[in-house]
Amino acid sequence: MRRTRVLATALTAVSLVLALGACSSGSDDAAGAGGSATGGSDLGLVTGGTLTVATEGTYRPFSYHEDGSGTLVGYDVEVAQAVGAKLGLKVAFEETQWDAIFAGLDAGRFDTIANQVSITDERKAKYLFSAPYTTSHGVVIVKDGDTSITSFADLQGKTTAQSLTSNWYQLAQESGAKVEPVEGWAQAVALLEQGRIDATINDSLTYLDYVKEHGPSGLAVAATTDDSSQSAFVVGKKRQALATAIDGALADLAADGTLAALSEKYFGEDVSK
Amino acid sequence: MDWDLFSASFWPILREGVRGTIPLALASFAIGLVLALGIALLRLSATPVLSWLGRAYVSVIRGTPLLVQLFVVFYGMPSVGIVIDPWPSAIIAFSLNVGGYAAEVIRAAILSVPTGQWEAAYTIGMPRAKALRRIVLPQAARVSVPPLSNTFISLVKDTSLASLILVTEAFRQAQNIAAFSSEFMLLYVEAALVYWLMCTVLSIGQDRLERRLERYV
Repeated sequence: MRRTRVLATALTAVSLVLALGACSSGSDDAAGAGGSATGGSDLGLVTGGTLTVATEGTYRPFSYHEDGSGTLVGYDVEVAQAVGAKLGLKVAFEETQWDAIFAGLDAGRFDTIANQVSITDERKAKYLFSAPYTTSHGVVIVKDGDTSITSFADLQGKTTAQSLTSNWYQLAQESGAKVEPVEGWAQAVALLEQGRIDATINDSLTYLDYVKEHGPSGLAVAATTDDSSQSAFVVGKKRQALATAIDGALADLAADGTLAALSEKYFGEDVSK
Repeated sequence: MDWDLFSASFWPILREGVRGTIPLALASFAIGLVLALGIALLRLSATPVLSWLGRAYVSVIRGTPLLVQLFVVFYGMPSVGIVIDPWPSAIIAFSLNVGGYAAEVIRAAILSVPTGQWEAAYTIGMPRAKALRRIVLPQAARVSVPPLSNTFISLVKDTSLASLILVTEAFRQAQNIAAFSSEFMLLYVEAALVYWLMCTVLSIGQDRLERRLERYV
């Protein structure tokens, strides 16, 4: 009796997983069909004629709302709009929490992500990347005056806060830190300022922008990565045509100076190469 | 389907469910029930100020999202100098929340006890407090078990929100594994199964409790 019940539960579980799996692969086909309606016919877009781009909308200065509640702006947002314009596509943004962003891409909810997605080997195994449009360094941010952390090695045994799916999470773990997962930069900084964590690792550009916005923030850079990281648009593994198209648009935007100009506008220097 | 990953991650998720989710739900529910009884009595009070207080509490709790309540306790309080650790923060937010919902259940259950029961208690000389404790509440308890179980089952699932304020429970464990394996679909479904399993076990407990309380009919 007990055995049958266990078996029945297991079978229910299996069929549920299979059914959901079938749904996710089904949405890829649906996306392909939708794309053939209008422009970008061979790109397999989620919505024909429109490049659907996922972004956080809370990540200054890459993707955020003007004055907090105005239109969606930012470096990544404007680069994505410029890419869409080059491809003759409308651009629709889907604002999603970072930790759900790859799950959404897997599920075929959007065509690409414009949110400073760093190019890593792990991600390359699962997704396609366009040419990079940002180059930056990672920095360890601590409370001003904290002299116990001056390098990545000092993170051993310390507590940091990172987004679960970010490459900074892995870097923090590799450095021996105890990592608290958070939704994004805003929560990480809040925890640091409240003294609940010792440090957080993020992009140097994010930190510089935060200081620019908040004035003397009581935070300081304790260490910087040697190697730089590059960010690019990311698309699903089966969307080679879309990745190639974005590459072409980015090359045009680099050649006509658009990328350099956008980069200058948000960072005061060219970070697009 | 990556069966190896599925089976390798099932126990870690269930373990955090047993160590994180269930204690969190039980502690919050216990505190929430005490709070709820107080709020229900406030609402039933003949004194306008007290009944208004109870009404305001229920309105605020039911009118605001649980996630916002969690964030106010955890991320908001530090701005006025009160820094509370993740676990106590979660228990505070969840018990305040349960307090609001369960208060309405308890109030309705008390009202469902026929007025004659009160009158009978008064006739034999019981004061109001004693009549409540000895005559009315035991009868109200029986009536309120099914809806309160419902509140509890909801709470078990709502605790997944605690993953957003650094509390380790079943869903956060699933997110951890998903982040490293990039198998989001698989791990989310697996987390769903674990919650389902926990809720099923708890429902069996509810059935038993209901049958026990039938004796008082």
